[in-house]
Amino acid sequence: MDIISQLQEQVNLIAHLAFNTVGTLQRDAPPNRLSPNYPEPPAHTTEDGTNFSEQPKLMSSALVKAAKQFDVLVTALPISEGGEEAQIKRITELQAENDAIGQELQKQLEAAEKELNEVQELFRQASDNCLNLKKPDDS
Amino acid sequence: MATATYPPPPPFYRLYKDYKQDPKSAPEPPPPIEGTYVCFGGTYTTSDVLPSLEEQGVRQLYSKGPNVDFKMELKSLNGELQLHVLELADILIERPSQYARRVEEISTVFKNLHHLLNSLRPHQARATLIHILELQIQRRKQAVEDIKRRREEARRLLNESLATLDGH
Repeated sequence: MDIISQLQEQVNLIAHLAFNTVGTLQRDAPPNRLSPNYPEPPAHTTEDGTNFSEQPKLMSSALVKAAKQFDVLVTALPISEGGEEAQIKRITELQAENDAIGQELQKQLEAAEKELNEVQELFRQASDNCLNLKKPDDS
Repeated sequence: MATATYPPPPPFYRLYKDYKQDPKSAPEPPPPIEGTYVCFGGTYTTSDVLPSLEEQGVRQLYSKGPNVDFKMELKSLNGELQLHVLELADILIERPSQYARRVEEISTVFKNLHHLLNSLRPHQARATLIHILELQIQRRKQAVEDIKRRREEARRLLNESLATLDGH
């Protein structure tokens, strides 16, 4: 896949990871103590423990890794510094060269075809002569 | 006519009855359309340019100007995005009711990123064109060399055969 599509995919992946991270944390976070008047809410221990405290770390490390990958891809972009004008100038140069080579190719092709026709004509004459020479032997 | 389930073909075909005998008796094809046109109820435009961010109502975060340094802007936008995600996490801890503005800023950064990437596409198209032209020039040069070589070889064979026949 070309690099710009890869960059676009990477941006979408970062977006995906970002809202997954925030959404998962929002869904799975244990209830928080709102005011010093009310007692601590009962801790819900079925999902907690090792699973929950590692999830933010895993997800955030995945997010940062995706962002670093994006940076690597950006560095690998093959952008020349000339900009649009330099590219268009190069295109016109290449077109002119292409036309010149095309004309020379056409010339060579025509010359080769002419020679081919001459050789074919000579071959025809030679074979006719051979056949004419052979005739008195057969009859 | 436009809303029938199986509409008949347009009746223009009758005008081309004598086209084979007299090509001038039938009307010319219509000229190409310019500007906007309506097709199956939808409006389309003939010029395909990427609409700028202001036209889409999105704030533009990277610097404007004739030549944008794409790599630098992309990297800085990436850093800004990470910062905004951190800010969102912080504000969800402290003042959770004010998440909306942070989310809007994150989406603005994403829109800017995608717009930058889309504006790289014309550059990519021109680079592809340059590459194709170079390949074509190389192929043509190769063909010219091949033809020259074959002509030389044919001429040499003819001379050899001439020498052989003369010797005979």
